[in-house]
Amino acid sequence: MNQADLLDQFVIEARECLEAIGKRLLDVEQQPDNEALLNDLFRSVHTLKGNCGLFEFKALERVVHAGEDLLDRVRHRTLAYSAELADALLEAMDYSAQLIDQIERHGRIEGAADAASMAHASALRAFVCEPTSVPQLESAAPAATGARHSVPCQDDSPPWMKRLHLAGLTSRAGLLALRYVPEEGCFFKGEDPWRLARTVPGLLQLDIQGAGAWPQGEDRAAWDCYQCNLDIVLCTDAPRAEVEAHFRCVAEQVNWYAATPDAAADTSDVTSAVANAIGCVDPVSPLLHQRVVALWNDQCDLLERVGDSAGTVLAARNAMGHLLACLDNGAACAALAELPEGVQAASLLAWARANAPAAKEAVRAAARAVRPEPDIGTPPQRSDDGSTSQPQKVLKVGQEKVDRLMELIGEMVVAKNSLPYLAQRAEQVFQQRELAREIKAQYAVINRIAEDMQHAIMQVRMLPVGAVFQRFGRLIRDISRKLGKEVNLVVEGEDTEADKNVIEPLADPLIHILRNSLDHGIELPAVRLAAGKPAAGTIRIVARQESDRVIIEIHDDGAGVNAARVRDKAVERGLIPADKAATLSDDDAVQLIFLPGFSTADEISDLSGRGVGMDVVRTAIERINGGVELSSVQGQGTTLRLSLPLSMAVTTVMVIESAGRRLGVPMDMIVETVRVPAGDVHHFKQARTTVLRGRVVPLRALNDLLALDAAPVPNEEGELAVLVIRHANESVGLLVDHFHGASDIILKPLEGVLAGLVGFAGTALMGDGGVLMVLNPKELLQ
Amino acid sequence: MHRILVVDDAATVRMYHRKILSDAGWHTDEALNGVEALERIHAQDGGGVYDLYVVDVNMPRMDGYSFVRELRRLGARHQAPVVMISTEAQRRDVDAALDAGANCYLVKPAQPSALVLSAALLLGDREAARTAAQGVRT
Repeated sequence: MNQADLLDQFVIEARECLEAIGKRLLDVEQQPDNEALLNDLFRSVHTLKGNCGLFEFKALERVVHAGEDLLDRVRHRTLAYSAELADALLEAMDYSAQLIDQIERHGRIEGAADAASMAHASALRAFVCEPTSVPQLESAAPAATGARHSVPCQDDSPPWMKRLHLAGLTSRAGLLALRYVPEEGCFFKGEDPWRLARTVPGLLQLDIQGAGAWPQGEDRAAWDCYQCNLDIVLCTDAPRAEVEAHFRCVAEQVNWYAATPDAAADTSDVTSAVANAIGCVDPVSPLLHQRVVALWNDQCDLLERVGDSAGTVLAARNAMGHLLACLDNGAACAALAELPEGVQAASLLAWARANAPAAKEAVRAAARAVRPEPDIGTPPQRSDDGSTSQPQKVLKVGQEKVDRLMELIGEMVVAKNSLPYLAQRAEQVFQQRELAREIKAQYAVINRIAEDMQHAIMQVRMLPVGAVFQRFGRLIRDISRKLGKEVNLVVEGEDTEADKNVIEPLADPLIHILRNSLDHGIELPAVRLAAGKPAAGTIRIVARQESDRVIIEIHDDGAGVNAARVRDKAVERGLIPADKAATLSDDDAVQLIFLPGFSTADEISDLSGRGVGMDVVRTAIERINGGVELSSVQGQGTTLRLSLPLSMAVTTVMVIESAGRRLGVPMDMIVETVRVPAGDVHHFKQARTTVLRGRVVPLRALNDLLALDAAPVPNEEGELAVLVIRHANESVGLLVDHFHGASDIILKPLEGVLAGLVGFAGTALMGDGGVLMVLNPKELLQ
Repeated sequence: MHRILVVDDAATVRMYHRKILSDAGWHTDEALNGVEALERIHAQDGGGVYDLYVVDVNMPRMDGYSFVRELRRLGARHQAPVVMISTEAQRRDVDAALDAGANCYLVKPAQPSALVLSAALLLGDREAARTAAQGVRT
């Protein structure tokens, strides 16, 4: 493992956390009293914050930390959950997602993020600060533990000395404490107070807080974020002259306080007393030694409160044995080993104290230069076993690996198709009938395995459609709030699965559809009430599988599409002639909204009607071989029905021949294949038609469409081959020369110089090694 | 070789702690929460006896405090020291860890050398402790 792996892991987990947070925030909004949900939410934020701390992602950590504090208060009911709070948190998490994108791309956060992250953090902190001002440090320290932290400051020490924890800090030179309050305009003088403080020689401890109260509520807008509001207290063991030199540029902003030799001596004496008592003065590493003392005291502390837990006593004893071993103190080790096996906590404690007298209070803080945070109002984090959800164990595999597998199996499927040709050659060219039969038998086996493999790999790529729906809760919430509408989202069948490549492109069209429903469909509460509907509208998204298609229906109980208005608009935009519009049924008129350039919004709103309309939705859905149908009942609502393929990996095409060329036509576009006697083809000027089962079907020669200079060739009986395809709700007949069979192919889009070619969906490699061009009849016919 | 069980629900933190500890020359295992940690301890193969536990506080299913309490009820061979690591840095968090029976409390994110030093001292690994102490100094 290296740093890059850790970073990758961080990004993956951070995304998971953000997704979980987003989802939980909405859940909590629905059930604000659900303790388990709140704890779950808190933990996700907490995990994210903890992970940030492993890296130098200060901007991200700042925002997430503020969110964590906020949620901790909500969790402990010292702050009420509100929609505004959720808004701020959602915004902050959106911003965090941006930062994580940056981290993924560049491995770091750009410097510019600092100001924005502070804004987000203080927006969150504002919720906390409003009721009470920042708690004072002195009053915040719990009385019970206050005594444990007896800071060895003399009475005449300035109050800010209390922000340091000098107990246990040892120094030969004596300690020097100082308070540095940068002036407000210091940033404009090119000063960097934080850096200056952090780079103080011999820095032991540092505490930073706001010099004045941070602005709250309305004041925040007016507050000048470029003014410095910092108050830094630090403590160092470097000689004063050196530290003074360090602060020479801002000397007038610094207050000095030399910890008296007594105070310093006190603590160092205690430490050495402990050291001597334990029986070892290690010149190599005072730090090692200091840490042993601190841990020793932790064990004493532990034994003090252990109660009757034999396990804890034993663990403490083991730990002390190891500590002594690290100090090479064989005598003490032996003494410890001589204590009886089931020694009581009290006896062990007495022994431990006897071997390390009087050191406990003074030294224990040494190793733990812990700065109490200004928000001490936080209740302790106790157990919260509320959540029951256990993450499913999954193997994370990069998408490209699965795609590679998919490609390989695609090649395999095609390669195996060469076996029938081989069998045919063996029989016809080499007269090896027996061999041909064996090849065919083997082919059947390989074919079955290949199909199973293909199916299995496709399963890996299957995603529940819910993956796309997840974001919608948030979207609908935000938009409906903005519009002043009340909307409930109902999602059904979100675990219906389809291929990743089908699911992922759905997001944008679906968002567009939902925006339309919210903006044009669902009415304002007052209007709804007047129409006898409940004030809150409902948008239902239902997904289900129907044979090899996935159906997604988006239904709203809004006003429905106004057919008359659609007609007018279409005429006004010049999309259809007025006389034709008048003859359209309401159902047909409603379909006009799919025409390019159609938009009924009278005013361009922020949400929809920015010049992109339903035609964009239809194009996007058709790109993944799907279809859209719209039905609407005026006053009752609109339903959009998306029909999508399960997978785009394998396409079934019908192979046809025209002017000596073999071409593929996607099977799902074909209505039927018929042979029409040449005499039944009617000519009207340039156009040709025929009548099929009483309906007139326009005929187009494929050769003409492809600009091939050849007439359609009839068969021996003088019949023309007509491939009837669906085009814009009508049937159109394509005149071709011959029909061949259907074939499963892996469709590859056209690339390079061919990419701009209109009329072709792509290419496919055939079993005999030839390349089949696959037509896109829709493009051809336009 | 010393065996350490790292218990944390955050995958990134687990990875980080395991790297630090295995770089110091120790064998590490991991568990996602208290329940899993106990399962590992009770496992017949691959789990079992550890020389040190490095435990997060806030975890789903079973948090660090409950885990340590459960651990301390087990037999003598499981009574290895516990280092509790969490993001909170306040006195009451230290107290809560000690109350539960942890032997040491560190604040997240732990500096690698600080974590190794504490772990080495509690494991009785003198060489690793010296190396780590030098790392902290420089």
